Amino acid sequence: MQGRVLMRVVALAFAILAFAIDDGAAFDATQYPDWKGQWMRLGSGQGAPWDPAKPWGAGQQAPLTSDYQALFEANLRDQAAGGQGSDPSFRCIPTGMPRVMIAVQPMEIVITPDTTYVMLELFGTLRRIFTDGRDWPKDIEPSFAGYSIGKWEDTDGDGRFDTLMAETRAIKGPHSYDSSGIPFHEDGRAIVRERIASDKTNPNVLHNEITSIDSALTRPWTVQRNYRRMPSKEPIWSEYVCSENNRHVQIGSDNYVIGADGLLMPTRKNQSPPDLRHFQ
Amino acid sequence: MLMRSSISSVTLIGVLCATLNGAWALDETKYPNWKGQWVRADSAETAPWDARKPWGLDQQPPLTPEYQAVFEANLKQLAAGVKASDATARCIPAAMPRVMMAIHPMEIVVMPDTTYIMIETSSTLRRVFTDGRAWPKEREPSYAGFSIGQWEDTDRDGRFDTLAIETRWIKGPHSYDDSGIPLHADEQAVIKERINSDKSDPRLLHNEITTFDNALSGPWTVTQSYRRAAAARPLWTERVCSEDGQTIRIGEEDYALSDGLLMPVRKGQPPPDLRYFNQKPTQD
Repeated sequence: MQGRVLMRVVALAFAILAFAIDDGAAFDATQYPDWKGQWMRLGSGQGAPWDPAKPWGAGQQAPLTSDYQALFEANLRDQAAGGQGSDPSFRCIPTGMPRVMIAVQPMEIVITPDTTYVMLELFGTLRRIFTDGRDWPKDIEPSFAGYSIGKWEDTDGDGRFDTLMAETRAIKGPHSYDSSGIPFHEDGRAIVRERIASDKTNPNVLHNEITSIDSALTRPWTVQRNYRRMPSKEPIWSEYVCSENNRHVQIGSDNYVIGADGLLMPTRKNQSPPDLRHFQ
Repeated sequence: MLMRSSISSVTLIGVLCATLNGAWALDETKYPNWKGQWVRADSAETAPWDARKPWGLDQQPPLTPEYQAVFEANLKQLAAGVKASDATARCIPAAMPRVMMAIHPMEIVVMPDTTYIMIETSSTLRRVFTDGRAWPKEREPSYAGFSIGQWEDTDRDGRFDTLAIETRWIKGPHSYDDSGIPLHADEQAVIKERINSDKSDPRLLHNEITTFDNALSGPWTVTQSYRRAAAARPLWTERVCSEDGQTIRIGEEDYALSDGLLMPVRKGQPPPDLRYFNQKPTQD
């Protein structure tokens, strides 16, 4: 009798514990990986190509459809001739997802139970990855950061989440994978899936396996980006204000540059000046 | 014996629960619940720095005579349709303290070492360090500035209720609001904030902001208030100023863009110097 009562009490204790864990797990910082600090890209080559394992430009071997391969090549020719190609970031248009995850500028990741915030200095990009179990909204206003839903996984079963799976939709265009102008489809229906996890042996290295699913591709394109944590405990965060010192201006559909003397200059040979009909 | 075992077991439950509570509830119970989406409580169409007073001269900022003259000149320019004193027209961030008007939604994420204040206006991210750090000797000025905060439990109920913040190294040019009330060009302004929940309405947040600046004859204190949006899953948007920027600066002159054409922003404004172009402008 005594043993049965004791067992019941102990069972009750564990039931309460289980409830408390289930209810309170979301608040337990020890359940999540330690991704605090300042992260910078690791191992990207010259020009910060999308796939750091391959050379910038045509060497990326992006699995583009023939239409988009042709667009990409035309863009490369334009860039070779001094133009900006199809990369809109020179006009201070945010690089958007997934390109911003190259982390050319520092990145911070703040984990809360309901949302993981990815704060990127580049273009002041703030990504909210919702991990509160929500469904996809029916309509999402496209944005350069896109709309992200994530799910934590404990892949090694040690009782602590180690991997954040994120899916991002509703990414606003125009956007490209990197500065070489590898294009996304203009239909704006790209989906980006990420698998972010710490390195198994080095907690100061983070891996992000990024798969893009886009109508401009013949198949999903998976690339692994890597980040290293800066050693400073009080890292310096800067502010990236593109429009502050941007020398490029767009008037109508034409791009111009402002010279060191403050005067408007053409960006290509024989470029027409802007239409000044509104000036007397 | 049975009673003792039961008591011991119940004690165990208590200890375990207390342990759990200590493990997971520490931060949540220590800090105020400022989750959600906040927007300024005053919904007036104009957004004066001091919401209790009319926009413009009636703000009665305690400016030095020199900066009062700058302010009045700014107002005259605005009346003539020139927004030269408001750098946001050129996609320069609204900066501290103006951005704390929260004209666009704001989120506050409280973590033990840092409180993050994320404001849609100018894609502003403020990090308020609450880790006990000392002021650095130097910092590169930024529009958000460099902020150190300290939590206070003013009513001594065991839970922090007030975040006291000091912000230094704020980059210029900047103004308090779009009327062009100027801060000094020396970028030496110091902003002190006291953010706390309303005593009776947890959906209301107050921010007493005191500005110390060499353009002022004394500290200027204004209280901004924010209201928490009702939606449990609020809609966050992205504001990309450069995407629809309607003002561009060429040299020292601002010009407007309309339908892809360059326009003057004031009567008699000369067109930009086109000496680097070979051809004459296209005229239909």
